[in-house]
Amino acid sequence: MNPLIAPQLPFDMKPRAREAVRDLKLQQFVGNATHLKDTQRGGIFDRDFGAEYDELRTVARDTKQYALDHLDELLERFIANAEASGAHIHAAATGREACAIALDIARAHNATSCVKSKSMITEEIGLLPAFEAAGIKTLETDLGEFILQIDGDAPSHIVTPMIHKDRVATAKSFVRELGARYTEDPEELTKIAREHMRGLYRSADIGVSGANFLLADEGSAVICTNEGNFDLSVGGPPVHIVFVGIEKLIRGARDLAPFLKLLARSGTAQPLTIYTSVVRGPRRAGEHGGPKELHFVLVDAGRSGVLASEKRDLLRCIRCGACLNACPVYRKVGGHSYGSVYAGPIGAVLTPELERAQGNADAGLSNYPDLPRASSLCGACYEACPVKIDIPKFLLHDRARLRERGLSPASEESVLRIWRWLAERPALFRLAIGAARLHARMLGQREVTQDGDRAWLTRAPGPGAGWTATRDLGFATGESFREWFATRDNARGVR
Amino acid sequence: MTTRSPAVDALLARVRAAVRAQPVTVAEVPAHTVVRRIARDAANLADLFAAKAKAVGMRVTRADDASLDAALAKLLEARGKTVVAVRDAALAARASAAAGARLAPNDNADLLFDCEVGITDVDCAIAESGSLVVSTNGRIRNAWVTPPIHIVIVREHQILPDLVDLFAERPDALDAASTTIITGPSKTADIEGVLVTGVHGPAAVEIVLVRSVLT
Repeated sequence: MNPLIAPQLPFDMKPRAREAVRDLKLQQFVGNATHLKDTQRGGIFDRDFGAEYDELRTVARDTKQYALDHLDELLERFIANAEASGAHIHAAATGREACAIALDIARAHNATSCVKSKSMITEEIGLLPAFEAAGIKTLETDLGEFILQIDGDAPSHIVTPMIHKDRVATAKSFVRELGARYTEDPEELTKIAREHMRGLYRSADIGVSGANFLLADEGSAVICTNEGNFDLSVGGPPVHIVFVGIEKLIRGARDLAPFLKLLARSGTAQPLTIYTSVVRGPRRAGEHGGPKELHFVLVDAGRSGVLASEKRDLLRCIRCGACLNACPVYRKVGGHSYGSVYAGPIGAVLTPELERAQGNADAGLSNYPDLPRASSLCGACYEACPVKIDIPKFLLHDRARLRERGLSPASEESVLRIWRWLAERPALFRLAIGAARLHARMLGQREVTQDGDRAWLTRAPGPGAGWTATRDLGFATGESFREWFATRDNARGVR
Repeated sequence: MTTRSPAVDALLARVRAAVRAQPVTVAEVPAHTVVRRIARDAANLADLFAAKAKAVGMRVTRADDASLDAALAKLLEARGKTVVAVRDAALAARASAAAGARLAPNDNADLLFDCEVGITDVDCAIAESGSLVVSTNGRIRNAWVTPPIHIVIVREHQILPDLVDLFAERPDALDAASTTIITGPSKTADIEGVLVTGVHGPAAVEIVLVRSVLT
């Protein structure tokens, strides 16, 4: 598997984050794109749901929570209904098992080529390397994923996987890998990819995809794309395999509308994705096109463990990517800094939890000790989440676990000790803050923003150095809170 | 029904135990009206549908039964020479003859890759999002996604206010082997966020919205 998303454990986030922060191009792409998406998301919800947006989120939260609280019933119903429509059902306890099931299906059909629609779970279980190792030539059909594939790169965002790459890199790879003529025009580049893939849709032996939702009542899978690559991937080859995490189940079509309306608006500020495709069983008698065999691989890979834990809420996630776009840390460090398929705030809590649920109890956090701290706890992720997952609460929970196990870094511990000591001594506290503000103003980096001037302390002296190694400490350059508070009281004649 | 594999039984057992390990916090799926907000107060569904369809990048031609052939011929004239028609073959034959286009046989999905235009009708349409609902009920799969242009005939009486009306009030809505809800031409913004249409599906979706005569 690609070390970018499956790194050596325990994973040290800091070198990657440091590299990302120094990469000015990446800062610009990821910063601009996420900021734009976040603003557009707010805009479309305002326009379409206004003050009722919060109610819509509550409905989605409770509908998905209901599904999790009754997942055993829903799973039974899904299996019965999917089998009734002619689909084959498989269950995989681990990612490795899921790949093995797929390889068995492929072998039974002597498959040597595969068209694959974008899916997070296939990234998670490492399907592509498994297929390639078995000699099954696999084509990523989502444009972004295709560009990453030919570059040996890995996705860095749930929805916009190549957010960290630019058109120049794409142009060069197309010349190198496809023998295309050099062009940086996104429209031309897209056309080149389109032509490259069209023949492969017709000739592939097998199609593979994930699913956004599973409908228990109907035994169907719902797949959302913007490019139309899923419809083509499932329409051509004689066999199709849907890989899906068990947490994707909802009761049925009767519960689907709130999620579809939230998913595309949260991810890309669209009312719906361009294609919302519902698959119910294989091709039927008399039909032209569509798979003769349809397989569902229901993947656990830690999910039943999360379901049993106090972090059940995390399984509500519909992978819209809104929390990534809203997160000030993700915007700075980019997706590869999280060392996992799932980046950003949701990744920071989900990755260690899935790891824990699949291994021994301690493996999760000790393998990813940096992730719970990769957050300013500002709450933007919770605000952005369409199913109201309280990510900051879970991050804090994980930080407490880290501390209990003595996994917090010494620098953090010493700074917190000093802070506590100072906070209990108001006069000294005021003096210390004053000195730090002065230090930042004289020696720090000044920044002018809409909200006023700021001075950033990028390298604190003494025991503070450990703290500022991975953070900058910001100070408003105007009056201090204490100064402001004092004058405000006087002006209003309070006391 | 096939016999269930031990792995499926094991998964069900794990999930059953996991569900019971935590208290149930939501015992009933909440009833609500919030999800229908956009179409809730719509005065005219056809107008709302046309406006929303245009907003997501599809083009809309209004017609009635008398002008439908001419509208189709005009759309075809400017475009491809090989078309595939689904279901209403007679209509497409008339239109393609008028436009001088060749009609491909509609019983071979592979031929779709050589067609320049796909013509389909819809199962229904959704006003609040401007969406088209097409399925394999009587249509070649992917006639709406494979050719670079999709011409689609929608009759006003086929327009439902909201997705909820499709899912919750039409129990047979998703009965087909494949149902696709289309909300715009195929698009990507993967390369530097620049919007490009026609990635794998059609770059242009032409809707002919046919007035319904009240009887």
